[in-house]
Amino acid sequence: MLAQRRDHPLEHLVTRHEPDTLRPPADARGGPRPVRFYLWAGVILIALGGLDTAAQLPLWRQTPTLATVNLIMSLAFIATGLMLQRERGQRGVAWALILAGVFRSFDFIDAWNTGPWPVYAVVFGGIDRVFGGYAVLRYPRPALGRPERIYLAVLTGWMLVIRSLVVVTSTATSAGYPASSWWPAITADPRLGGIFAFMGNAGDAVFGLVVVFFLVRRLTETKGLDRIVIAPVIAAGLAAVAAASATAVAQIFSTVSQGPTGAFLAEDLVDFMLPLALLVAVIQRALLPRNLTGLSARVAARADLPGVRYALRETLHDPTLEVLDVSGAPAAARGSRGARVPDGPARELPTAPLPADALPSARPNRRLVEVIRTDAGAPIAVVIADAALERYRGLFDAAVRTSALALRNAQLQAEAARAELDSVRASRARIVEAALGERRRLERDLHDGAQQHLLGLAARLTAAMTRTRDPEATAAFGHVRAELGEVLAELRDLAHGIHPQTLVQSGLAAALEEVAERLPLAIHLNVAPDRAPPTVEAAAYFTACEALANAVKHARATRVRVAVRVTASHLEMEIADDGVGGADPSGKGLANLLDRISAADGEAVIDSPPGRGTAIRARIPCG
Amino acid sequence: MRIALADDSALFRSGVVLLLQASGAKVTAEASSGDELIACLFPAGPAAAHGPVDQERPDAVILDLRMPPTFTGEGISTAAAIRARDPDIGILVLSTFAEASHASQLMEAVGSGVGYLLKDTVTDAGNLISQLERIVAGETVLDPSVVRRLLARTRSASKIDTLNPRERDVLARMAEGRSNVGIAQDLFLSPRTVEAHVTSVFGKLGLGQTDTDNNRIRAVLAYLRSADDQH
Repeated sequence: MLAQRRDHPLEHLVTRHEPDTLRPPADARGGPRPVRFYLWAGVILIALGGLDTAAQLPLWRQTPTLATVNLIMSLAFIATGLMLQRERGQRGVAWALILAGVFRSFDFIDAWNTGPWPVYAVVFGGIDRVFGGYAVLRYPRPALGRPERIYLAVLTGWMLVIRSLVVVTSTATSAGYPASSWWPAITADPRLGGIFAFMGNAGDAVFGLVVVFFLVRRLTETKGLDRIVIAPVIAAGLAAVAAASATAVAQIFSTVSQGPTGAFLAEDLVDFMLPLALLVAVIQRALLPRNLTGLSARVAARADLPGVRYALRETLHDPTLEVLDVSGAPAAARGSRGARVPDGPARELPTAPLPADALPSARPNRRLVEVIRTDAGAPIAVVIADAALERYRGLFDAAVRTSALALRNAQLQAEAARAELDSVRASRARIVEAALGERRRLERDLHDGAQQHLLGLAARLTAAMTRTRDPEATAAFGHVRAELGEVLAELRDLAHGIHPQTLVQSGLAAALEEVAERLPLAIHLNVAPDRAPPTVEAAAYFTACEALANAVKHARATRVRVAVRVTASHLEMEIADDGVGGADPSGKGLANLLDRISAADGEAVIDSPPGRGTAIRARIPCG
Repeated sequence: MRIALADDSALFRSGVVLLLQASGAKVTAEASSGDELIACLFPAGPAAAHGPVDQERPDAVILDLRMPPTFTGEGISTAAAIRARDPDIGILVLSTFAEASHASQLMEAVGSGVGYLLKDTVTDAGNLISQLERIVAGETVLDPSVVRRLLARTRSASKIDTLNPRERDVLARMAEGRSNVGIAQDLFLSPRTVEAHVTSVFGKLGLGQTDTDNNRIRAVLAYLRSADDQH
């Protein structure tokens, strides 16, 4: 589902999979096995620690504090390097850290004061900085940038050359070492040696400034997750460079030719932040998936495209991330800039889906793209993110997978809700239809049964009356006949009230005219003669009857205006009176009236300002 | 007076038969639907064209408005069918409920020698017989409640307002009792144009599209009513 396809038409937007990225291959996850790895790492740590202890053996007697701190420093670097061995793509950084740790203690090998060690210390005394610098400048990228590579090469060359020059222009004694130590002096010129030594230390300071520049630039250029991960490393790197520069300056003014122990100690302590920072960075990276918990909560709270976009942006720290809707995207004309989504028959991306700010100007074509699909494989959305997230591919994939799940769930829920609404509507329509049918049946039963029966009786009675001349009988018959007439009139009104035949046969206009005629009000009817479906007409009719009854009973109105318009899709009705207004829409009468309209799937508005009459506007869909 | 009767309610029918006989009329045929009555009055086949049928020929028929098969306006279609076959038979349509639109339809279908009364009329034998006699004499009889309603239908002045000035001129002259030809001469129009205007007036007043006396009267009533409203 989420697998990137090679033939993806958006391929030009997709970051090429670099061989040294951090994405673990699905089938070869993890590094060396943990137990074996730790055993191996422990052995190496002890071996290298022993080596470092041996290298500065005499220092333990001279300045045990410095020796101890040096050893701890070395071990910290080596341990961090060993830990980084397990991080994919960071082997180079790991080895650099291990070497930096090993060479750290070797800087002080001159404490032996014999053999070639003083010369080694002078010439190679700063080599650990090259390895440390490599680690700081690179982590966690797969490789160094070209300027940084050149810088490190130049730094190394400069250090070795200038320090060699210092050695060949001085003697062991002038450098503060016993004359017995091996010293390849060519010309013992103290002035020249002093100048080279000064240049060496000044160079250290200058090169330190360049590293500051590199680190600050990296901090400003990196965004998102990278920044979170490398910020502590860069901070520690800056501190280390500052300390190294301070040491270099201290050496310039140092009276002790062997170097200022205090400055070395201070530099050591500051440098200690570096492995610590790298450790923090490694932990940060390891803890990144914890952001997914927040993502799950966010997308659960709002599982639409804007919600998912916001959640992904927050989780992946990529403000340029876009989530585009491709679920119902209309097929754009072929040959346009619209890119086809793979395997989505006739589905195409909108032609201009990428907002201008979605593309960072620096690398406009490198974007990470994932397609979110339904279980059936139809595309729902496309996630387009910063290519830098390729380095956090595992996190990115997991985040997209979480979002996809939420989007799919939301889609299913929406479908279910729609289906439920449809079924409720259908059942309501059936109920309305059934109620109307029941009314019709009742009216017809009354008409065909009781009414005809009584009329037949009335006719018989009248016939009987013609046969008698007896005044008393005639009077009695007359009395019965009059009452029969009243019963018939009542029955007629009852049947008509249940469901007027006029409405069925002649429509709303005629039926409302009948109603209007019986009410003691000036009723102005403007009712279109067009017919609407029976349930719609019935809803409008009974609503109008209730509104008119209210106008008479409660509103104390003298004039009412009824207007009905029938279009192909709707029946629109407005009933306005000149009564006292102030009707309470939650009152029983009006609530009934509104229910009638809702039952017919319509909507109604009641406008009844006190003293300014009541107006009811209803709109009922025709079918 | 010979009367034929069609009503789907046997109870009502037998009551009316009793009443008519008591009032001195003769019931020549009874049927439970309009079609049945027509079949009875106008039997098919050449042998039945003359003779006894003439003796049984009713002076008037009484029809129920709602009859099988649909119980809507069968009385009116039956009336039209009878009138088409024998224009001299008077027709009385009875209805449980006085509906103006049905009365109009009946007038348009049959014209004169016709009546539209509430079924309650059967409580007054004298009235029923006298109305039947008027119908047989060629008069048009309407239930008072229907008249009231026909007048009420013309109450809406707004319909008059929808007429254009030319149609209003035509309607004003109709109210003066002029014929279409007279109106044409008056307004320097062709009779055909006047006819078109008249039809349009009927349409706008909701009276149906045909130029019948009945419609003319109702159009004029509407006009007069609106004139009353304005003064």
